[in-house]
Amino acid sequence: MPWPTTRRLIGTKIQRLDGVEKATGRAKYAFDIKRPRMLFAKVIRSPHAHATIKSIDTAAAEKVAGYRALYQIKKAGASVFFAGDEILAIAADTEEHLEDCVRAVRIEYTVQPHAVREDDALRSKTNTTGGPGGNNINAAGDFSTDNFENAFNGLAATHQADYGVGVISHQCLESHGLVAEWDAKQENLTVWASTQAVPNTAEGLRVHFKLKPGQVKCITNYMGGGFGSKFGPDIQGIAAAELARTTRQAVKLMLDRAEEVTVGGIRPSAYGNVKIGATKEGQIRAYEVECHGTGGISRGATVSFAILPYVYGPAIPNIKRRHRVARTNIQIARAMRAPNHPQNSILTELAIDDLAARLNINPMTLRLANLPPNDQAEAQANPRTFVGQRATIYRTEIEIIRKMCGWDRAWHAPGQGGKGVVKTGLGMALHTWGGGGRGPNPTRVTINQNGTVVAQSSSQDLGTAQRTVTAIIVAEILGLQPTDITVNLGDSSFGPSTPSGGSTTCPGTSPAILKAAETARDAFLTSLAGRLNVQRNQLSIAPGVVVNMANNQRIPFRQACGMLNVASIQGNGDWPTQKELQGNAKLREEWTTRLSNQGVGGVQIAEVKVDTETGVVKCSRFWAVQDCGLIINKLACESQVAGGVIMGLNYALYEECIYDRATGRQVNPNMEFYKLAGIADMPSIKVHMHDMPERGVIGIGEPPTIATAAAVGNAIFNATGVRVPIAPYTPERVLAALANRRAGNG
Amino acid sequence: MKNFTYYRPTTAEQAVALLEARFGNTEMLAGGTDLLSLQKDYIAQPARVVSLNGIAGLNTITIGQRSVTIGAGVTLAAIAGHVQLSRLFPALASAAGEIGGPQIRNMGTLGGNLCQRNRCWYFRDEHSPCLLRGGNRCSAIEGENKYHAIFTANHRCVIASPSTLATGLIALGASAEILGPQNRRRTVELAKFYRAPAAANEREHTLAANELITSVTIPVRGLTNAAYEVRQKQSSDWPIVQCAVAFSAGRNGEKATGVRIVLSHVAPTPMIAEAAGRAVENRAITAVAATAAGRAAAEGAKPLSQNGYKVRLVEVAVKRALMIAAGLPRYWEA
Ligand SMILES: Cc1cc2nc3c(=O)[nH]c(=O)nc-3n(C[C@H](O)[C@H](O)[C@H](O)COP(=O)(O)OP(=O)(O)OC[C@H]3O[C@@H](n4cnc5c(N)ncnc54)[C@H](O)[C@@H]3O)c2cc1C
Repeated sequence: MPWPTTRRLIGTKIQRLDGVEKATGRAKYAFDIKRPRMLFAKVIRSPHAHATIKSIDTAAAEKVAGYRALYQIKKAGASVFFAGDEILAIAADTEEHLEDCVRAVRIEYTVQPHAVREDDALRSKTNTTGGPGGNNINAAGDFSTDNFENAFNGLAATHQADYGVGVISHQCLESHGLVAEWDAKQENLTVWASTQAVPNTAEGLRVHFKLKPGQVKCITNYMGGGFGSKFGPDIQGIAAAELARTTRQAVKLMLDRAEEVTVGGIRPSAYGNVKIGATKEGQIRAYEVECHGTGGISRGATVSFAILPYVYGPAIPNIKRRHRVARTNIQIARAMRAPNHPQNSILTELAIDDLAARLNINPMTLRLANLPPNDQAEAQANPRTFVGQRATIYRTEIEIIRKMCGWDRAWHAPGQGGKGVVKTGLGMALHTWGGGGRGPNPTRVTINQNGTVVAQSSSQDLGTAQRTVTAIIVAEILGLQPTDITVNLGDSSFGPSTPSGGSTTCPGTSPAILKAAETARDAFLTSLAGRLNVQRNQLSIAPGVVVNMANNQRIPFRQACGMLNVASIQGNGDWPTQKELQGNAKLREEWTTRLSNQGVGGVQIAEVKVDTETGVVKCSRFWAVQDCGLIINKLACESQVAGGVIMGLNYALYEECIYDRATGRQVNPNMEFYKLAGIADMPSIKVHMHDMPERGVIGIGEPPTIATAAAVGNAIFNATGVRVPIAPYTPERVLAALANRRAGNG
Repeated sequence: MKNFTYYRPTTAEQAVALLEARFGNTEMLAGGTDLLSLQKDYIAQPARVVSLNGIAGLNTITIGQRSVTIGAGVTLAAIAGHVQLSRLFPALASAAGEIGGPQIRNMGTLGGNLCQRNRCWYFRDEHSPCLLRGGNRCSAIEGENKYHAIFTANHRCVIASPSTLATGLIALGASAEILGPQNRRRTVELAKFYRAPAAANEREHTLAANELITSVTIPVRGLTNAAYEVRQKQSSDWPIVQCAVAFSAGRNGEKATGVRIVLSHVAPTPMIAEAAGRAVENRAITAVAATAAGRAAAEGAKPLSQNGYKVRLVEVAVKRALMIAAGLPRYWEA
């Protein structure tokens, strides 16, 4: 079952099927769901960053007009570990009454010491976060190659400096939450949730309520952003379902903006002191980093630095890492678009440019000299793997982007960004990601007698155009147009599907869709052959028609459907099981290296204009080259890359969570001082998809955001000759770095 | 937000009669772009909200020979898009055009803009201590203060005055017409309209709780004027520092006189940078003179722990505003 070798639709630019629905508001997100007699619910949260609950008094709240029910999450005596920690949830008949109920609840606390800054947490002598141990530090994974002590000896250039990036929030446009409704017998639960994992969300609720499989249904027709923060019902989803059960009414609980920012997810910070050294020919020989970061109160090591030095690691013989995780009294970090990679990219790529400056070489040249080599063993085992050809891919992509942006003409030495106060500079960075798919992702394609075609899977469309991907593949196989296919997604009763995390959705679903479409086509043609009294192999599909080679008749598709003697024909497709894959090398090769695959690289270049009087940085132009194997929808791929760049530009230049040390509260849980770019702040973004169809489908959700911030950081350095160590590169930080140089310190 | 009774009077006099003499229990509603967010965050909890939107005559712009009068209910978008205002008072019109985004400009009004409350994130978080909400300390002085005031001497509350229209209007010598109870009318120069609050019963301006602005009048004196904002981003954002300037003559090498330089986002009130004005008074506005004015404007700044950078931005904003007004090349638009 290979991908078709001549592709009519796959790989072309196809508009989203639901674009009009979304633009007109006809698309209903979980946030838009209105059920009959629906109640509203809200979670009451700790205003303190660390406290124990002395007492909870809901008597007054229960008397407020419109009050319906409450659901206790924490009891008196329990501790809260961040401002926003959940205590109880209340349901009321209107949003307005709900607010009144919430404010009538009296909770008394004994406030405890907290730490919301990494440095405070690292210094604290007590444990304020409730994790293991007597302080707020998780030591995590020190590493050294052998004989590291002499690694920097005799190198022509070394550079040592601090780099980092602060805590940012997912800031999903559609906040977290769901609408929950039980059936009349209180046996079956339906939720309309904003989730990137439809079956997981249903399963989380099923387990909580100890129900049988099939008793919880999760629906997600449209979804307004998750970025790794929406994989289950969460505590607020459980609260909504509990309240719906108590009240026997539908309950809506979606976070408000301040909650979305303070409890909906953060990405861990990362700060490191990096030392890097190279020979005079530009061979990087050693990389040493001492780093830390925080993932909030997370008990585990949510900030991983194991992939440092990023991308170039396999080319650098001597590596040493020391790393601590600071536990702070802020919300638990969640996976965020390419977890750990953007931070590690910053801790690597900025050091590379600083080293290039010391060596007086073009940073593109330095990168080309230190690309991770093609892994020969991998290349032998699987010629289509990324690792087996990564140096080749990066080299090709760098060559493409070099021409796209006119690097040879436009690049100048650091600090030579022009005579005026506004300095122009170019910076680049590389990235890599896995993006391999897996099953189960059962998909069903139904061809109906009336000529309609329906494709169905429980997988979700996060806004990535998964609906359109499904239609493209089915239409390709059936000779139709994507608009001819009705795609039903995002309903857990359609069966299992894998969560949309790790850029796995397209590679995880596409082979199953292909198989379902081919199975349906074969069954369709077999059935038709019976009707036409010809051999099955005398029928084939061409655009819009079924071709009967016996008499050279071309039967329009719809007419052919009308000839069926059954109401519909179905084709199911799914991955082989893990066990089948493990036991069968051929099958494994087909599904994980031909139909789909994993491993991508990408190169990005930013052009910035830095106003050296104000410290304001404007990203003026941006270029991105990205591979992702076989492209299903080029338009959506390009859009995904541009979207990744946009997100990366935000944490490069604007957004960060700011916490008040005294109260431990975030001071900017909004979209005002949690700054996010608008259209006027965007550069022109040029995307080139490096098409490698022979590699099968690979995910692209995350990689294109990884290198962006580092590219911008390097462009600022190139423009001004000054390194701004910490992202986002805000006016005060840029001015401080410039002043530091004027003072002769840098 | 807290439940309230909504009134929609049709005359200004009726509106005033509905307002209490003390702040807290009643609020006026114009475009609501500020008041509604304060209510949603329980910072404002009025029991009565008096809409000004049913009052006839509040949203007219009258261009006269000697003066221009803009009704308090005129929207920011109307100011930004007004051809004659843009020609006469670019300091005002350009600032109006840069505010927030289209939604804010279409709803926000001149009166609401001048009377809007400060944007301090501690003031707007009911769980943080704040002098203006009856607390016993200002959280910003020791806390997160990168957007706060840098002229802080003698101030216990270090909010930064937000209005970017007030600066231009003050530079142009505008006054507000104010209506109080018993039909008492008064006119106040906007230069004297603001004050630095430090307690819960004080506002950022000198209006009584039962007074409202009906209009603002700007004398037409042929002043050269302009404004400049240092902005980190263009979309839906505030300037970090903003400066408006106005003076007589001063273009084509002529000497400038009557120079007025006003800054927002640097002190608890709009700040007239007198030393800066003196630095260019009776001088031709050149890049050198403008730079000197910028330096003079920054004198006396006492920044907080995190906003020292704004001192530099004051220098730059003053310099650039003067250069725009004088028609000198915008060297920063390379
Ligand atoms: C993202 C963002 C960016 C912004 N950027 C800027 C900026 O760059 N520069 C700037 O100046 N502003 C800026 N603003 C603020 C905006 O200008 C104000 O919100 C708006 O002007 C308020 O007008 P309104 O009519 O909506 O006032 P309302 O919200 O209706 O009222 C605000 C206050 O003024 C009082 N009030 C209203 N009218 C009168 C009157 N006639 N007499 C007495 N009191 C009155 C009200 O009682 C209330 O206390 C920004 C706002 C946002 C959200």
